[in-house]
Amino acid sequence: MNGIWYYMERDMIKWFRGRIGVVTLLVMPAAWLIFVGLALPVTFTGNYLDFITPGILVMTMLASSMQGGALLMFDKILGFLNKFLALPTPRESILFGKILFITIRGVIQSTIILLVAILIGATILSPIQYGTIFLILILFGILLSGLATTLALYVGDHDSYAAVNTMISMPLFFTSSALMPYSVMPPWLRAIASVNPLSFAIDAIRSVGTGVVPFLQIGILIVLGIVVIALCIRVFRGMTV
Amino acid sequence: MNAIETHDLTRNYDSLCAVDHLSLSVNNEIFGLLGPNGSGKTTTVLMLTTLLRPTAGTATVCGYDIVREGEKVRQQLSYVPQDMAVDIKLTGRENVLLFAHLYGIVNPKDKTDEVLSIMELSDRADDLIRTYSGGMRRRLELAQALVHEPAVLFLDEPTIGLDVAARKKIWEHIGTLRKNGMTIFVTTHYMDEADQYCDRVGIVSNGRVVALGQPSSLKSQLMTDVITAKISGPFVPLEVEGIQFVGQKDDEITFTAENGKEALPRIAQSLTENGIQVRSLSLREPTLDDVFLHAVGKQEEPHHFNDQQFRTMLRRRK
Repeated sequence: MNGIWYYMERDMIKWFRGRIGVVTLLVMPAAWLIFVGLALPVTFTGNYLDFITPGILVMTMLASSMQGGALLMFDKILGFLNKFLALPTPRESILFGKILFITIRGVIQSTIILLVAILIGATILSPIQYGTIFLILILFGILLSGLATTLALYVGDHDSYAAVNTMISMPLFFTSSALMPYSVMPPWLRAIASVNPLSFAIDAIRSVGTGVVPFLQIGILIVLGIVVIALCIRVFRGMTV
Repeated sequence: MNAIETHDLTRNYDSLCAVDHLSLSVNNEIFGLLGPNGSGKTTTVLMLTTLLRPTAGTATVCGYDIVREGEKVRQQLSYVPQDMAVDIKLTGRENVLLFAHLYGIVNPKDKTDEVLSIMELSDRADDLIRTYSGGMRRRLELAQALVHEPAVLFLDEPTIGLDVAARKKIWEHIGTLRKNGMTIFVTTHYMDEADQYCDRVGIVSNGRVVALGQPSSLKSQLMTDVITAKISGPFVPLEVEGIQFVGQKDDEITFTAENGKEALPRIAQSLTENGIQVRSLSLREPTLDDVFLHAVGKQEEPHHFNDQQFRTMLRRRK
């Protein structure tokens, strides 16, 4: 257990000292929020900013997780992983430490994005609603960071991983319910969007905004999370003796 | 009970046999595993540190089986790999403290201070690693490895890429640890360093131990003097009484003889008689290099370079 904390602490210090990295990951979601959220002329809702904010929060989590996936791969390439694996600390703590760090980082970044949204005019919700939103974001972060870390380990080199990352992120975002409601989507997009895991998280956050607790979506995220973590452990063990 | 015991330890990468039925016992000494690049040194260390599964054979570290009792083995050892992996965005103290925490040391802060001062890094402990020299980074890695007082220390090429002074310092530290009762397993391809600092060495070639013993006894097994001749043109093996041909490396031919001074003119004469032009002759005491050359024979690439095999090996090794 302790190992997880110290592995997380290591990444956290490195991230804060990186400075540039702290800001750059926030630029894209902030730009979406401001330039699309405030400017796009839509007819299906009176407050598009309120509509798009859940999508942007999930996007922040997605970008942070996908970028974080490369961390364990770099530890492997640079020789840190071998040093860590030779320690008596349970080996899975390396993996869990990464997932914990990436998720915490994602939550910090989403919080900033949420503050920006409120600043430029999004409706303010109750503390319980915000609590539920963060629960959903954390579940989604665990799911994605586990997936990204495993994927990067599997791909093995950073060029290929960057390519995979680009290939996955944008299509996943555009085929989700982030930008428009299901009712205005063409039928083929609706079919894709309704099974996109991003949509589960976005829809869940949106229904929190309308005062409903989305038990179904939270349940789906928990089940998916457990499956992904189990898969991660398997791949991680396979890759490290 | 020996600190390290291996029995027919074998590792194959597909059809390439990196370590071939290796049997060793190492206890309370500085043991140097020597050999050219690609001879299976690192693979051996990876197996002993439980980072790689052997294909066949067994090995124990402090009595624990490296396959079945991995976690217990890891409690006994520290491992410093070849590629220097220290976090450049962290300070020296933070780097060591991380390991102290991960090892679950009782009073991590004090222990960190202690190993930093042993490695003479106290005055730079709070600087970022970014500002450390190569030698300091290596010493920091040693500090990380020492923080939990391991019984066995594995060092893979500890002095690679360091200058003469830094190398000497590293070896002095290793010597001190040995005096305090630690078993140290070092791999290197610097024969002179092994000769000077190791209690015992094993020379490996193509995954097999071809010579094993104290550097001094290995050297004395060769005849006393070594004569090196530089020649032009092709070399034809010659038969001269009391003189043994050891090996050839480019245009350098090495012989051994019991009395070098007497052998010198006879070699010169014999070479000239065989139509070989001698450019220079030199005489010296044998070194581990000669032992190595003698044990391995003519130094050459083991077989033609197989790119595919090499990639497989690298991938598995990481």
